[in-house]
Amino acid sequence: MNFFLIAGIIASQTLGENYKNRFFAIFIVFAAVLIYASLLVGVMAVDEEARVLVDSGLALMELIALAYALMAAAGTITREIETKTIYLVFSRPVPKPAYLLGKTAGLYLSCALMLAVMSLIHLSLMALRGFALPVFYFKAVVFIWFKLLIITSTAVFISLFSTSVISTVTITAILWTLGHFTQEAKFLIEKSSGAASWALKATAYFIPNFGLFNARDLGARAAGGPGPVFLFIYIFLWFIVPYLFSLLLFRKKEF
Amino acid sequence: MNATGENIAVFSGVTKIYRRRGFVSTLETTALNGLSFELRAGEITGLLGLNGAGKTTIMKLLTGLLFPTAGSVSVFGLPPADIASKKRIGFLPELPYFYPYSTAASALLYYAGLSGLERPAAEKRLEAVIEKVGLKKHAGKKVSEFSKGMMQRLGIAQAVIHDPELLILDEPVSGLDPLAIHEIRTLISGLNAQRHTVFLSSHSISELEKITDRVLIMVEGRLAKTVSRQDWERARGGLEEIFVQTVKSDGS
Amino acid sequence: MKKYLYPVLTALGACALLFAGPWAFKSYSAPFPPANLIKEVRAGAAEDALALTLGLRRLAADVWFVRLMQYYGTSELEMEFDSAEGARGHKAGPHYHGGVRCEGVHFGEGRYPEFLGYARHILALDPYFLNAGLYAAASLAFNLSRPEEAVSLVNWALIYAPKEWKYVRLLAAIGYSKAKNPAKVAQLIAPLLEEPDCPVMIRQLAAFLNKKAGNHAAAYAIYRSILGSTRDRLYIENAKKEMAKMEQKSKVESK
Repeated sequence: MNFFLIAGIIASQTLGENYKNRFFAIFIVFAAVLIYASLLVGVMAVDEEARVLVDSGLALMELIALAYALMAAAGTITREIETKTIYLVFSRPVPKPAYLLGKTAGLYLSCALMLAVMSLIHLSLMALRGFALPVFYFKAVVFIWFKLLIITSTAVFISLFSTSVISTVTITAILWTLGHFTQEAKFLIEKSSGAASWALKATAYFIPNFGLFNARDLGARAAGGPGPVFLFIYIFLWFIVPYLFSLLLFRKKEF
Repeated sequence: MNATGENIAVFSGVTKIYRRRGFVSTLETTALNGLSFELRAGEITGLLGLNGAGKTTIMKLLTGLLFPTAGSVSVFGLPPADIASKKRIGFLPELPYFYPYSTAASALLYYAGLSGLERPAAEKRLEAVIEKVGLKKHAGKKVSEFSKGMMQRLGIAQAVIHDPELLILDEPVSGLDPLAIHEIRTLISGLNAQRHTVFLSSHSISELEKITDRVLIMVEGRLAKTVSRQDWERARGGLEEIFVQTVKSDGS
Repeated sequence: MKKYLYPVLTALGACALLFAGPWAFKSYSAPFPPANLIKEVRAGAAEDALALTLGLRRLAADVWFVRLMQYYGTSELEMEFDSAEGARGHKAGPHYHGGVRCEGVHFGEGRYPEFLGYARHILALDPYFLNAGLYAAASLAFNLSRPEEAVSLVNWALIYAPKEWKYVRLLAAIGYSKAKNPAKVAQLIAPLLEEPDCPVMIRQLAAFLNKKAGNHAAAYAIYRSILGSTRDRLYIENAKKEMAKMEQKSKVESK
């Protein structure tokens, strides 16, 4: 049977289970409350209310979507193994690569759905206040999703050898914060030398560089650095390499 | 019995050791030791043993969920992990668990899709299978609302939806009421009548007596005895007496 | 052969990432000022560090802008009363404005010693927060009569926004203000008023300068534009007051 067809079936099922899960709804409600609560901060900014609403809304969307992505990615395969749901999958002609691909794609779609719903909530608030959207808004949302793709792939890989969901979430959250330190890492590398400099370089080179995707912070300004082709290649590498490493761990796994 | 004599699954000198790595040492548990047997096409073969005898391990080795530490397993002449062999088997694990937010119908369609059925064919099979297992009026219900017996029925449904040649059923009547047990027994017999091979494990000796052609008795990871229907029909105490004697003599 | 397929693909992917990571890092040009330029204001270091780790510089700048608005929006006599009376264990009494933040030429006056610190902090976090830069520099130059501080702020802002013509115009306007040439100042800042998001404080200044130069019609039009472009109550009240005065004056003159 077609490899991608099976992956598509698994992706669709993963998406369905994720959005029907009560935690999905809880995250959305939480996001709605916080986004609307940011009105208070916006009012205090007087004439910069529009900017504050946009910035706080996008920041909340990113952080909430991140929390959801980490929890979903850290637990998705582990939970199936623990509940033995995976028996009903791998007693069937399902190639393990297709399963992993489907699970990862399902998580990507779940993140996209969550971001889309939160965007609608945010847009409703902006419309309520009569503010136009800034030109960089949709780019910012899409780039948030790109960051989530990278961190989700990494979380799935880490979940395959980690001892618990909490440790997976913790490790991936640390990677997330380190990934935003690109600029500060450059500064520190210039100021340091010897072993410290090498350690910083290793960290900066091989942790996902989220500074490249921080369109939310740059606003309408274009990011300095690699162009769009490289960015897509970079995202693809950060999907395919964790996927392949996950496959190495997973293909000989027993259930 | 509809046996045609052909071996569709073969265990040859299979040993399975579970290893658990600790801080200092590795804990090893031998689940199976030098196990050899065959499953013949068209037969209903039972697997009987105490808890920890290795029954579930055998089931998982047949389905490719586990790999043997030594020896070999073949299903339809292929390794169990081979996609081609998996297309022809249906597996019911002990206490099957489904995605909680799916309905019975959507779960079955999902598994049918994974087994290679195209959507129209899957929907057609779904109607027939869900009626057969007695879940027609619960088809639209979420799995999280199912009772244990309903989950078991759904488990059997997912095992047969793609019409596999070999059915591997781990405790198929576990948790079912007597009426449901009778229905499942009828279902299994009906499948065998259509030349499906069935391999099932159970703690219920009477169930195995009613339905199987022969029974493999496992004691501490070894095949202690193979008993045919004629053997236990001849024995005074039936299969139970043979089982107890086998366990006592082999275990000592 | 198939046995080695996945390990080989994984190795290739990892090599690609090992190349892409350093290349992305080296070609990344830092769009923001380094962390060492973010000077601490009012024990906000931990908060700023958190913002940097999560890639939330814009939001952090917004929060500091709100704080600046609150700081500048609080009468200094209120601040002194609150801190003095609070220290003596008295409850804060009714607020009053003792000659500070009066209307007309004294609008927005005061000491506000931390104003520049707040403004620099905002721009160190987000140097592209143009309106904050213009607002702060204009307040320093024209309300607080600290043109040197205003010039230093604008010059600092120009490092990261060298092509921003509004900063250049404001710099020129500050220069003419120091030379006591209100007509030239009004002329220089006139193009800024055409931008819909022009900070109200610059509109306020333009109206005042036009009024001082005798261009009452222009001043009236600018005060009217303030009513429709800001939500700041103080500026709206002041604009209404000035418009009423000018209407009264023109009625008297026409008689």
